[in-house]
Amino acid sequence: MCEPIIAVHDLSVELGGNPVLSGLTLSVGPSELVALVGPNGSGKSTLLRCLAGLQPATSGTVSVFGAPPTDDAAFWRRVALLGDEPAWYPGLTAGEHLELMRAVHGEPRMTVEAALELFALRERADAPPLNLSTGQRQRLSLAAALLRPSSLLLLDEPERGLDAGFRERLGTLLSEYTVGGGTVVMATHDPGLAGRARQVSPTDGRVAA
Amino acid sequence: MRSRGRAPASLLDRYVALFALAVAAAVAGNPVSSALAGLAGRVEVAQVGPGVALVVLAYAGFVAAARAAGPVVVTAADAAWLVLSPLDRPGVLGRTGRVLLLVSVVVGAGLGLGLLAVLGAPDQLVWRLVAALVLGVSASAGGMALAVLGQASQSWHAWVTAGLVALLVVAVVAAGGQARGVLAAVAAAPLSAVTATASAAALASTLLIRRAWTALARIPSRTILAASTRAGHVATATVTLDPGALTWIAEDNHWRARNLRSRPWPSLSWPRSAGSPSPAWLRIARRPGRLAGPVALAWQDWVRAARRPGRLAALLATAALPAVLAGAGGAPAAVAASVLAGALAMAAGAASGARRDADNPSLARLAGVGHRQALAARALLPALLSGVWTATALTGLSLAGRLPAGPWWLFGPLAAPAIAAAALRMARRGPVDHSMPVIDTPGGAIPTGPLIWALIGVDLAVLGSLPAAVALVSQPHEIGGFLAAQAALGVAVLAGYVHRSRVA
Repeated sequence: MCEPIIAVHDLSVELGGNPVLSGLTLSVGPSELVALVGPNGSGKSTLLRCLAGLQPATSGTVSVFGAPPTDDAAFWRRVALLGDEPAWYPGLTAGEHLELMRAVHGEPRMTVEAALELFALRERADAPPLNLSTGQRQRLSLAAALLRPSSLLLLDEPERGLDAGFRERLGTLLSEYTVGGGTVVMATHDPGLAGRARQVSPTDGRVAA
Repeated sequence: MRSRGRAPASLLDRYVALFALAVAAAVAGNPVSSALAGLAGRVEVAQVGPGVALVVLAYAGFVAAARAAGPVVVTAADAAWLVLSPLDRPGVLGRTGRVLLLVSVVVGAGLGLGLLAVLGAPDQLVWRLVAALVLGVSASAGGMALAVLGQASQSWHAWVTAGLVALLVVAVVAAGGQARGVLAAVAAAPLSAVTATASAAALASTLLIRRAWTALARIPSRTILAASTRAGHVATATVTLDPGALTWIAEDNHWRARNLRSRPWPSLSWPRSAGSPSPAWLRIARRPGRLAGPVALAWQDWVRAARRPGRLAALLATAALPAVLAGAGGAPAAVAASVLAGALAMAAGAASGARRDADNPSLARLAGVGHRQALAARALLPALLSGVWTATALTGLSLAGRLPAGPWWLFGPLAAPAIAAAALRMARRGPVDHSMPVIDTPGGAIPTGPLIWALIGVDLAVLGSLPAAVALVSQPHEIGGFLAAQAALGVAVLAGYVHRSRVA
């Protein structure tokens, strides 16, 4: 039996005195695609933040790669987190943000050219990210997260702003990522994306489908 | 219909306003009159040129700021409801016009006093003071009127640009000493000539204001709306008391309007020697997150700086200001403060990456670079720019004969690491803490939150460049010890700051 990538045991989180997660237990193995589903406020994003080491647990344990997640460089070299839209660096084009990711990580999963092609951004490569549409900026964020090497992808509503056609393509890209040995945990409201994954509802921590 | 539904001022309102003015005059009367008495007499001819240059630069800065602000702006509500309506445009914008006039009068009075302080008053102090005030107010009101005309038509906009360039040329010539004879004649001009000049300036200014007032009706709605949106952002940032937001508004607006071309990142991998194994340091440097990663991350600041060469050149040109200030009779402490402020401004302008990562660390996490390595790499550009600026400024002071003989320029590169650390500390500071106490003093209440926020970064700059600052103030003939102390302190401050820094 493979060692799980993520092991969450009896996790409870309270925010401002309100219980957001209660007694959640979850295990995610290598090459798994997991979708956190549920209504707004059910704790999907909070769980992702716990897995990223950005939200301390009130009780219970969280383990990622066999250790509690920590907000440090060694952790982030293995984990790519995509939550709200990042603050883009001033003076750089969309393409140069991808160049930056390639140069920082040294051995990317794909070339910048390939990423621009794959995420339909070739025409807008020279535009500053703030001049892109909401959907294009989300595609750029996804391209940056998928271009760099990683073992675990944590995505918070990756379908945000994307058209139906690209959502389908994103599902394929995430499946390919898991085939390559990566693990994906995403919070999503998109039935198509969730349908490709093992669905987990944070409200009760059980496998929903 | 009025754009403001305010009730007319009552008798009590007028009494309170007059009483407040009388109290202000009684309190400020004595210090102001003694300061004005100090203006009487001739000034040293050598100080006139640099002094005039500073006054002219201040005036050019005022006109440039007015033009950058709009200057005709209205509140968000007026912009939404009144500008795009068939209402009489001068009626809608009249209040803005009066505010601009008031601002011009206040700034102009300051400029006039500055001019009198620089040129001196050989005789008839009161009349020369009146003439200087008229000249200053005429110049600032005329400049503001030109800025308004520039907002209304493109041809006036070009004239304002030409005027600003001409002012810069005048400042350079005045500071350079080429116009010493002319300036000496101006300083010794008889009162009749001064009166004639002030009257002509007042007449020209009145004509420009008249023209600008009628031009209010012709200002295109889109320029008023754009300026008002900009002012709205500024107001929001001011109301929430988060001045850091202003930098991003200006920065993002600039890049949104630019046409850029993507460039590949420079290769940061060293060629591998065939056959022989690489040395250990090279293997470590090649590992992601060790050297190549942080440098690649910090390269963003270099790209940004290279894409604004005009701004960089303008900032570097300000390295002449400490020499001009010293030439105008500025005290050594003031000159040292101007060197420190310029160096810090230069470095802080090149720390946008650190500022953005501190505001929102999403991209930094995606990059997966250790925050200490990233900070060390991001210190390179601010250190280089502040080092070059300070070395240039100190060379200028040496050439102008304001410093004793010696390699003073070396303080630039030696203090640069500390200044870079200060710029990074400034860039990474959080928002203003409004929960800090407010201290009541006889001069008014002082909110400590914004005060402490403003001092973050400046503290490290002062501490880290203390040997250079002490040397500049005391001006010893032997500076070897100061240079050695500065070299050690500069490196220690940067190393200490990077080592003690925490994840944003």
